[in-house]
Amino acid sequence: MSVGIVLRDAQSADFFDATAAGRLLVKRCQNCGHVSQASTEMCPQCASVDLTFADSAGEGVIVACGVVNGRSKDGTPPSRTVVGIVELDEGPWIYTQFVDIDPDAAKIGLRVRVAFEQPEGGEAIPVFTI
Amino acid sequence: MSVPGTVPGRQPVIAGLGITDMSKRVYGKSASQFAADAVRLAAADAGLAVSEIGGLLTNAGISRALGMSLATDLQMRDLRMLSEIQSYGASAGAMIQYASMAVAAGMVDSVACVFGDAPLEPNLGAGSGAYGGAGRQSVGYSGIQSASGIGSAPTGYALAASRHMDRFGTTTEQFGAVAVSSREWAMKNPLAQMRDPLTLADHQASRMITEPFHLFDCCLVSNGAIAVIVTSADRAQSLRQPPVHVLGWGQTHPGYPLERGSEFGIVSGAAISGPEAMKMAGISLSDVDVAEIYDCFTFTTIISLEDYGFCEKGEGGAFVASGAIGPGGDCPTNTGGGQLSSYYMWGMTPLSEAVIQARGQGGERQVPKHDVVLVSGNGGILQHHSTLILSPHDHS
Ligand SMILES: [Zn+2]
Repeated sequence: MSVGIVLRDAQSADFFDATAAGRLLVKRCQNCGHVSQASTEMCPQCASVDLTFADSAGEGVIVACGVVNGRSKDGTPPSRTVVGIVELDEGPWIYTQFVDIDPDAAKIGLRVRVAFEQPEGGEAIPVFTI
Repeated sequence: MSVPGTVPGRQPVIAGLGITDMSKRVYGKSASQFAADAVRLAAADAGLAVSEIGGLLTNAGISRALGMSLATDLQMRDLRMLSEIQSYGASAGAMIQYASMAVAAGMVDSVACVFGDAPLEPNLGAGSGAYGGAGRQSVGYSGIQSASGIGSAPTGYALAASRHMDRFGTTTEQFGAVAVSSREWAMKNPLAQMRDPLTLADHQASRMITEPFHLFDCCLVSNGAIAVIVTSADRAQSLRQPPVHVLGWGQTHPGYPLERGSEFGIVSGAAISGPEAMKMAGISLSDVDVAEIYDCFTFTTIISLEDYGFCEKGEGGAFVASGAIGPGGDCPTNTGGGQLSSYYMWGMTPLSEAVIQARGQGGERQVPKHDVVLVSGNGGILQHHSTLILSPHDHS
């Protein structure tokens, strides 16, 4: 399974402008410095709404991991897509798909790095690889 | 102890239970039609006419096809309470709580709480109705998750379970122990859909859905409806069924932060709603005789049992593998077979079995000591939780 199509909305426009350029954005609180997901509108640490986008280094560790099995058709082995949650080194979590990874080797604790996939007709979305 | 603020005589009780046929897959009715049937059955069970019911709360399931118009379908008039409730798998517990508060305050005499769903169509598997993630239009930040292949409930819970396995060493064989115990109960329940014997080897050999989950880690999907009538202890005295007292309750919506330190997959809302419900009821965990735990997946049973305190945090896997939750175990749990083997009616699955057990009407599966029954509801991917404490006796 490759990634599906995501369309932008007003809230996510800056994020997808960045992914198209190969950059993964997070939010940084201007009051306390806490870094949270790009979608955050209020700092979970200090409740400030003075948040600005910042670039993530794009590296982190797997903190949840599963392998989506497709339905086997005519005896062929089912597809196995590795998905999970990455904890970026800056702290935020991101739900994601893993690419170029052996499903039997994928596990919590592995270091991963961001890449981007852009399906026809959709925005570029972050995926992660070893 | 009675519910705070209760008008004398108005302690809330469950006086009626209506369950539509779900012993096999039933087609050809809408969620609203099933729900209307369930309300009629619950009223008849209580010995009430539908026209005597003063309030209606509805909870739509996967198909999202049930709402306030049910009151019109049932020709209910001059209702003192009518709302649609939604906190997913925690909704049944939530409906009972809101109905209990309204009854205790004297706002309404009796309330029908109903869940109805009809996601299954003939010749289409559960995947078409319940867990179809593909093909949906994904927009904005929230669209990234589903576009990444994390749109379905099995995958969301598989990710939660992977964290529990990593943190505590919980195993797929321990998940399988939950499935086996549930099936052993279901084999004693004529209402259950899955009554063939199930072994741990069967569980391990079943196909993978989202690893670490096998097929038999996942609940059924069912068409049907269940309704419950909440009224006052005084009113119930003249009704047909022995009343089931609603002694205590709680809700928690954890709001897991999506960042470092999150307890997603490690601690569920039961850790808060459980102790609060027991405190309101004036009981402690050792008083609980029967546990009816929301079991959308085997893992959900394990994490909930831990958070209620039936075992230590992290030891839920070993606890269920000991046979404690099955027939003959020390902690009878999901005594009708749960959503894994009996029927999938969101929070109405554990609630309906709790009412049956509290009344002592469980037949072959009846737990001998059933003075206190704990009901767990769980919704979203562990995002919503409700607890009820029920008893055939008023503990005041
Ligand atoms: Zn801040």
